This record gives sequence, structure tokens and C-alpha cells, in this order.
Amino acid sequence: MDVPLRSSAGVPSSRLEEILDGSDRIEELSDTDNEYEDMGTATPEEQANIEYLDSVRIPIRDSLKTETLKVQDETHEIILPYLEGNPNDFTLNAYGIPKLQRERHAHFLKKVIGDYPPQAAMMDASRPWIVYWGLQSMTALGIDIHPYQKLVAHTFSLAQHPTGGYGGGYGQLPHLACTYATILSLAMVAGTATYESVDRKTMWHFLGRMKQADGGFTMCEGGEEDIRGAFCAMVIVSLLNLPLDLSQDAPARKAGLTTFTDGLGDWVSQCQSWDGGISAAPGNEAHGAYAFCGLGCLSILGPPKETLPKYLNLPLLTHWLSSRQCSPEGGYNGRTNKLVDGCYSHWVGGCWSLVEAATSIPPSTQLWNRTALSRYILAACQEKKGGLKDKPGKHSDAYHTCYNLAGLSAAQYKYVYDESVNKDIGSANLGAPYHWKTACGYEGENVIWDSEDTVRGIHPVFIIPYRSVYECRRYFETKEDF
Amino acid sequence: MAAYNFIRNWLLTIFHSSLHLLRAILYRLNIVRLIPTKKNSMPKYYHDDEAWADIEPLPQDDGGLHPLAAIAYTDEYSEAMGYLRAVMAKNEFSERVLGLTEHIISMNPAHYTVWLYRAKTIPELGIPLKDEIAWLNPTALKHLKNYQIWHHRHTIIDALGSPEGEPEFISTMLEQDSKNYHVWSYRQWLVKRFDLFNKPEELEWTADMIETDVRNNSAWNHRYYLVVGGRDGKPSQELAKREIEYTKTAIRKAPQNQSPWNYLSGIIRAAQLPKSTIKDFALEFADLDRPDEVYSSHALDLLAEIYAEEESSRAEAEKALNLLATRYDPIRANYWNFRKGLLDQPKLTA
Repeated sequence: MDVPLRSSAGVPSSRLEEILDGSDRIEELSDTDNEYEDMGTATPEEQANIEYLDSVRIPIRDSLKTETLKVQDETHEIILPYLEGNPNDFTLNAYGIPKLQRERHAHFLKKVIGDYPPQAAMMDASRPWIVYWGLQSMTALGIDIHPYQKLVAHTFSLAQHPTGGYGGGYGQLPHLACTYATILSLAMVAGTATYESVDRKTMWHFLGRMKQADGGFTMCEGGEEDIRGAFCAMVIVSLLNLPLDLSQDAPARKAGLTTFTDGLGDWVSQCQSWDGGISAAPGNEAHGAYAFCGLGCLSILGPPKETLPKYLNLPLLTHWLSSRQCSPEGGYNGRTNKLVDGCYSHWVGGCWSLVEAATSIPPSTQLWNRTALSRYILAACQEKKGGLKDKPGKHSDAYHTCYNLAGLSAAQYKYVYDESVNKDIGSANLGAPYHWKTACGYEGENVIWDSEDTVRGIHPVFIIPYRSVYECRRYFETKEDF
Repeated sequence: MAAYNFIRNWLLTIFHSSLHLLRAILYRLNIVRLIPTKKNSMPKYYHDDEAWADIEPLPQDDGGLHPLAAIAYTDEYSEAMGYLRAVMAKNEFSERVLGLTEHIISMNPAHYTVWLYRAKTIPELGIPLKDEIAWLNPTALKHLKNYQIWHHRHTIIDALGSPEGEPEFISTMLEQDSKNYHVWSYRQWLVKRFDLFNKPEELEWTADMIETDVRNNSAWNHRYYLVVGGRDGKPSQELAKREIEYTKTAIRKAPQNQSPWNYLSGIIRAAQLPKSTIKDFALEFADLDRPDEVYSSHALDLLAEIYAEEESSRAEAEKALNLLATRYDPIRANYWNFRKGLLDQPKLTA
């Protein structure tokens, strides 16, 4: 039989089993070519971190070398010093973990929504995203975004297309991703004038043009059909309380479809792949970001307890989501055998509230490892110059800042679906997502954050503050028509 | 036959893999144009260009207030965009518009508006679609993670109605980034659009990709798509058997690799075979009687599932899940404990 023997080299925990004394343990680890540990004796915090990492490490390693293993090993070399020690010299919290660097991030976020040099022309079509990521990160940190209200409404009014929806900027064609980021940003800054700046009637026509005969949505006219479209469209229809009927000029009517939701659940269902994850479109590889889009879409179509089991093999999905948590890094990757990346703190970490709402689990139990994720975010994803990032060695940016903070919020709170929340709204058209609440801050074992490291609660489907979600829907529920 | 094998192995040694060989041949035949167009360092303007004299550009309208996340565009970019807005407003499709879109794409390849307008211009002008693909190749290689380029390619190849040369191009792309999501998704579209499911080369190529890196989950996904996912109906027993044997071989090379384990379960599920079909195989890597000799946490996971289905093996299922939670995959302890909790629940009769 050709079962390869487990290679013991490079598996600290298997070596460590033979070592009894704690200080020897540090010496033993310093034999690896890890520069950081060569620098001297470990502090008590570092020792505790190293012990924690050993406690979550998979003690099996195959010897077969392939490209995947090579890049994984290289990545570990880069990340581990940050999980073991504190190379950034951040102030540590009571648990010996870097504090949430609020001031640094606040400073960074101000720059994010400010002016960009000419080289940034590459993001000319993504400006609504930049604004959304920036503003959402600010609200997560508790920064008041009200001063930006007028400017936000103004910025987006220029990108609204005469035929409906929003583009990346003035004169650009409407696109569902841009429209999604725009509507979320407008909902965050709120206010009657802001809400009224949206042309809901042309929006309804635009979304009708995106609806496809197979039930899904394209991102733009002549563009790709994928699960982002399905999610973005549902977010917009629901938040703006648009009629569910397709407009008469919607091409999907020719195929016999009459509403935005016709065939949509089944289409999402087809995106569940053979390993349980969710892919961009039927047949593609399962991917964390698309998993969140799929679950988000279904959580708008109805209460997660009904829609998730109806359209997905939930046990298989749970297995796949669980497998995304990387050991020993604690953060998530987006696909099987890919590298950990801080943005999946949300894309995968954010799936758990939705999955838990659809799964019968005893109140004290949970499905995932919040401690490991928050360790990764606080210790490995904070950039010294401010902002959060993919992993050490990368630069911080608005995207990773937003989704690391959203992931941190998912780890720090228990978000629950409760029909008794907001009895006055969400009884009609796609009203399910208006019944979420924060049950409590997570207080289980192994909390590794102080109150100062805690971000604000975030609505688990819309990824903006709860209040923004409920106020927006409440406003548009007063509209009889357009 | 021996001579053939000798030459084949000799070639493979030189070129490391058949992919390298293919690439080298393609270079020779000049099918793939890899040399990127040299970027003109001189900015290009339209206001003093005779050919554009009839167009009044539409400048960016910032509505008086300074917007958020504003970009200080170069004069070149700003002006080109002004001309694009103007021709789009007129619905002009012409050679000069094609040049303009190329110019803007060179400055900002993520500009979906420009790509969409270019895609509309090509059929209007009757530009040979093959020329468009030849133009696209170096651009695609430069911007691997770009959504627009792939969708544009999809649009053009769809209109062209032939996948000729595409598999080779995809191979070249995957050599740069073997798990590129857009490239693999595009390949799945290609297989469906041109019904390549039964083309032996497609499965052979996928097997080569798995051979090169048995941990490449994108390659496993493509295999599943070819064999089961993209087809109607459930796979035959014969096919399932072939896939199970193939996957077992792959697992033996590196048992702590989740892709083939998932694949194995996927095939079993699709073929509606009992999970116990692969019980003995899983036991090779994790025997509960020898808890110190576990070679794959994924084997333990599978065994836990198999035992959970067997009425008399609850204790074994629990033991496997305990081993996972406490020793072989502790980061997921909450999940394994949740699975343990499910063992107590009354079973739904299938």
C-alpha cells in the first residue's frame, strides 16, 4: 500500500509533543527559519499565542510537493510572525492581541473617500464601491458619517443613468454592482432628499432588463449573468420596496416570467456545487464571495429557515463553509486549497448568521470559530499605516477594510432572525430581511477582544447599519407606487 | 510502442509537462500572440485631430460640487472619455470609435462601459472576429483578474461560433495563474457552448492539470463539470466506478488534500451509491482502532458520516468526531461538536 508517511518536519505540534518544558518549546520553534523568533526569548503574550496556534493546528501534513503547497508554505512563513508576536508594535489588549487601531483606520478612511491621483483612473468604474466601502467601514468604527450626507447624494446623482440604475460615474452605463453600492451608500447617509434622489421607476425598468429567462440576473445589458446579479437585484428591489412585477418591456416576460423572483430560488440552487459551496454561475467552482451572495439572495426571498433548506443542501453547505477556516491562521480562504484572505472574514464569516438562522442549534452552541477569525483580523490584517488588508505583506485598501471589519462584527455579535422584530414593516414584498436583530455580543469562551476593540453591529444581509436598513425600507413602504 | 513511450517521456522531461510542450509548439506556430503591444509613451489627444473635428466632446459633469472619491484624471484620459460620451450619445459605431475604445482600455481596462460599447461596435462594423481575439490576447494576459476582458471574449467567441484555438489560449493563461476563476468559468462556458463534454482531449487536459497539482480544486471542479455537473441525468455505475478509482489514486498521493475527498463524495452522491462503498478506502487512512495513526482528517470526516448513517455505529461516529474536534482538526471543534449533536436527533428516513 502506498500511503505516504506523514512528514514530521515542519509540524511543530508533533515535535512539541515530545517536549515538556515551555521554554524549550520556544527554542525548538526557533530552529525553523522564522526570523521573528530568532530575535530572542518570547514574551508571555507570545508564548500564549504560540500555544493557541498549536491548539488549532492540523497535525497532518502530506509530503507531496505541488504549487499549492509551495505557496501555502510561503504564506505561512509570512503570516505566522504576526500571529505569534507583534511585529507592528501595536498596543496590545488584555488578551495580548493587538487592539483595534481605531485612529489609524479612521485616518485611512478619510483618505479613502477623498481625492485620488491620476494613476487611480483604473478605478473610475468602481467609485461607488470605494464610497460604499469607505462609509461602511466608518460606521463599523462608530464614526459619524452624517457630515457626508449631501456630498454622497450629490456624488451618486451624477452617476444615475437616464434609463435607470447607476453606473460607476457620470456618463457610464448602468451596472448592478455600481447600483448596489450606490443604494447602500444612500441608505447609510439617509434623509428624505437622499432617498428622493433615486428614480425608482427607471430603476424598476433597469432591473427588469437585467432579469433573465432562466431566473437569474445579468450585471448590465450585454454583460455577464452571475450570482452577484441575483443578490444585488434583490437588495435593491427590497430596500427600495419596488413592485415585484416585471415591467412590460422586460425581456424575460417573453419567456413567461412575470416577477423578479420567478425562477430565482431555483437558479441559486443550481449554483450549489458538488462540494456544497456556491459558485458564480451553475457549473463554476464554489467560492466564498459567491456563497454570501447566494445566501444573501435567499435570505431576502424569504426567512432563512424556509428558503435556505428549500433551495440548498444545507448540511453540505455548512461542511463547505466550515472547511474554509484556515488552520492555524484562523482567517478564511475563499476556495478549497486557496490562501487565507482577510476579505473572506466577511464573505465566509458573514454566512454564519444566515446559516445559523436556518439551522436548529442549541442557543449556547455555534458552528464556527469566532476566536480564531478575530485573532487573524486583529493580529494579521491591520496595517500600520491604517486600514485593513488581505494578509501581512499586502497593502491595506477600502475593500479589505470594509470586509475585515464586517467579519469582525460577525465574530463579535450574535445576529438572530426574529419575526417579532419590526412588526410594522416587512410584511409584504421581500420583507423577510427586516426582522433581524443583534441578540447579544458574543460572550463565550476565548473572547480575545476588549470593549474598545468591538465594532458596531451590522445588518447581516445588507452589510450596513441596522438603522439604515430599517429607516430606508420604512420610508419606501409609505410609497403607494413610484 | 516502447519507442513511442520513450520519445514521449523524453519530450515530457524536456518540457516538464505536456502543457509546456503545447505552449512551446504554440510559440513556434505563432498561434498565440504573446508580445504585448508597446505602450505609446506620448499622450494621444483628439481636439487637434482632423478626424475628430466634427465631434464636440461631452466633459465630465461634476455638478458644481466636488464629489467623493474624485480622481484627478490626466488630460489625456479626461479628453478621451469626453469623446467617448459624445459618440455614445450619437450612437456612432465606426473605425475611429474602435480606436478610441482601445485607447481608453489601455488606460483603464476595468472600464465596463467602454468594453460594452466596443462589443456593440464590432458587429456594427463587421470587423473580423478573429482579429478582435488576436487583439484581445495580450490584453488578457496583462490583466488576469479582469472581469470585462473575459466577458468580452465570451461575447466574441459566441458570435464567432467556433472554439478553435481557445483551449490553447486558456492553457497559456492558466500557466500564469492556475486557479484563475474567470479563466476556468470561461472554459466551462466554452465546453457547454460548443458541447465539448465528450471530446477526449478535454478530459485529458483536465487530468493533466490535476496531475500537475493534485490540490488544484479548480481542476477538480472542471472534471466534475465534464463528467457529471454539466450533463443531464445521473452518472452510470460504470462511470462512477471509473471516477472513484481515479480519485482514490489521487488521494493516495496526498491524503490530507480535501479536493479529491470532496470529489469522491460528490460522485457517490450523484450516482446514488451508498457511502459505505468507500468505507474500506477511508479506513486505510484513519482507523478508529489506531487513533495515533491518522493520515487524513478528511478520511475521519467521511468515516464519521458513514458511521452516522449506520444504525449500530453511533459510538464510532462519535469517536471519529471527537478525534477531529480534539486532535486532528481542532480549529473546527464547534462544527464537529455540532455534528455530534446531530447524532442524537431522530433520523429522517430517506
